[in-house]
Amino acid sequence: MRSKSAPWVLMAPFLLLFLFTMVLPIIIAIVQSFLTVQRTGLVGEDGAVSRFAGLENYLAALTNQNFTDSILRMLAFGVVQVTVMIVASTILALLLESASARWPGLFRAAYFLPYGIPGVIATILWSFLYVPGLSPIVDALGWVGIDVDFLGPNMVLWSIANIVTWTYTGYNMLIIIAQLKAIPADLYEAAKIDGAGPLRVVTSIQLPLIRPALMLTIIFSIIGTLQLFAEPQVLSSMSSGINSEYTPNLSAYAYAFQYNDLGMASAEAVIIALAAFILSAAALGISNRLGRKS
Amino acid sequence: MRPLVPRRTALAGGAAALAAGLAACAPTGAGKVNAEAVIPPSDGPVTLTYWAWLKDLQKVADKFNASQDRITVNATWIPGGNAGGYAKILSAVAAGGGPDIAQVELRSVPEFALAGALTDLSRYGFADDEKDFDPGAFAQIKVGDSLWAVPQDTGPGAMFFNKDVFEGELGLTPPKTWDEFRTVAEEVTKAGKTLMTLDPGDGSVLPFWAMQKGSVWFEPQDDTWVLNMADDPTMEMADFWDGIFADKLVSTGYGAFSTPWYAAAGKGDVLSYVGGSWGDALIETVPGGKGKWAVADMPRWDDGYASGGLGGSSAAVLSTSEHPAEALEFLRWMCTDPDGIDAMIENSGIGWSPAADYIGKSREKASDFFSGQKYNVDVIEPMAKGQNLDWTWAPLMQRIIDRLGDGMLDVVGGGSTFTKMLPQAQDDIAEIMRKIGLKVEIAK
Repeated sequence: MRSKSAPWVLMAPFLLLFLFTMVLPIIIAIVQSFLTVQRTGLVGEDGAVSRFAGLENYLAALTNQNFTDSILRMLAFGVVQVTVMIVASTILALLLESASARWPGLFRAAYFLPYGIPGVIATILWSFLYVPGLSPIVDALGWVGIDVDFLGPNMVLWSIANIVTWTYTGYNMLIIIAQLKAIPADLYEAAKIDGAGPLRVVTSIQLPLIRPALMLTIIFSIIGTLQLFAEPQVLSSMSSGINSEYTPNLSAYAYAFQYNDLGMASAEAVIIALAAFILSAAALGISNRLGRKS
Repeated sequence: MRPLVPRRTALAGGAAALAAGLAACAPTGAGKVNAEAVIPPSDGPVTLTYWAWLKDLQKVADKFNASQDRITVNATWIPGGNAGGYAKILSAVAAGGGPDIAQVELRSVPEFALAGALTDLSRYGFADDEKDFDPGAFAQIKVGDSLWAVPQDTGPGAMFFNKDVFEGELGLTPPKTWDEFRTVAEEVTKAGKTLMTLDPGDGSVLPFWAMQKGSVWFEPQDDTWVLNMADDPTMEMADFWDGIFADKLVSTGYGAFSTPWYAAAGKGDVLSYVGGSWGDALIETVPGGKGKWAVADMPRWDDGYASGGLGGSSAAVLSTSEHPAEALEFLRWMCTDPDGIDAMIENSGIGWSPAADYIGKSREKASDFFSGQKYNVDVIEPMAKGQNLDWTWAPLMQRIIDRLGDGMLDVVGGGSTFTKMLPQAQDDIAEIMRKIGLKVEIAK
């Protein structure tokens, strides 16, 4: 009988924290997304009432062009950046795990290193390579007649993509390597006996067997893309291409912490969460269908 | 065999927690405090809490604490306003708690009043203190007849410039008018340098320029806000900057005091900064700048005022404070007493003094960094005296500044001009203000 209550007692510290820092804030955010505050008087001195707003906040969020633009921007960003990053991570992982790799430990650590640098610091570092007049890259390109403005309105999104790719490729590579290491050695032996070359091993053994890891990294990356925040926030003071609602999260942040409009911020946060959920589910669905076909 | 907590109790508990959560997110009785009876001064000793992002504020409070034995002030550092400080203050007030006093930027004061977070100090006799304050500072905490905070520092505009390069190398003199500013900018650009840089997304320079030109963008009339963001003075100012931007006479690559700015200013490639007087402390950190920089008046128009105001903060008494009278007593000391001003300058590095006739002891001396100039007395003080006292900040100022900043990005990107953008921004801003229930009219 005692043993029945023991797990609950032991889990209580976690459960309480989980309830009060995860579940409750989510519920409050959802409730708040349906509320709006109306004020009267010059500066609200005649009172304020909080009232049920139905879907008003959601409609306002979805008709806020800055917000919808930011979602479309992140979709374009994700299609390019996530693809490039996952392909790069996979290639690096396969190379480091191939029999002919030299010093795999050293390179693994080197590729992983950028992940240890906080996003804000990484962005400041990269900004020195982007800002015209300071950047040796811009100077060097100028000498050969190429004029680029990495922080211009059309380029800055891809400059951010570059920073994100630089930061996370090594991290995703590690996840894939972990899965590669879990492939039983006898599979490789059998392939060798059957006369499979290194390429054949990659396409017929390694790639199919690391699919779960690839899925995981892709879903993490989709969610990460929707939550992009620090990089555009830091670059905004140097780029004419970044407005105050450049990414969905920046928009929700502005409404919550700068405009004190919690209803709108909550509605945007819920929309971001739903979008991440739908996109992740779609990625899983595609993967399952492909898995069944092969 | 039975579960530790019967299911029904668990559900009830969950519902109670949910109800508590809901109660927390209802707005506090905004304005209620300012309609109830004033809270009389306390008989016994009082302890006040004070949240601000000024550094070493406790050292300032300690001076006050030592000067009398009734009131004790405890200062707590919080992150800067938009970096999370405001969210922290507003959440605390919404939950019915929070400190007695909090730092609020001057332009955000009406926004805090709107959120029901401030005590109207006119009800505690603060109007009698007006004579002790710099009029330019006092005007900024006033909305109609209400006094929403105690001004703590201001940022009268001036022009900081690299005299060594500007006068020595290029043989130019600091521009007295905006027309001269344009001519000088052309010369500097021809010499392959940059006169000034602007953060392309920072809209706060627009009200700064407009108030100097003599416009009053937000005018409270009875219970209505009248917007004048596209009046004649503003349009003249907008037209001038359209010309400057079209000819690329200032750089919009990065804002002042950003990392690339320091690198360029250190090399002598960016020559000036036209902005708040608090810029002096930041310019003093330009590498190798000592003795080379100087300060001049803000370039001005034929009409309008000598200067505008950029930045500055207030110390506001929150609506949840149980000791507004004592809080005001402390703030009176801190913001007008020479001891308080000197302590704030020495420890916290505040901007321009909010007091009527005291600029701070250390500021009366000549500055080694700024070419031996007594710039505070000779330049900043007249700039502080030449402010547009009719200017009033509106609620939702942060949103308004962001809207202007986004408009400015369009101008920088070549998709618009200030003369086109400002009337559009005015329409949007009127709509945003109306949406939360304020009465707004656009001046014809």
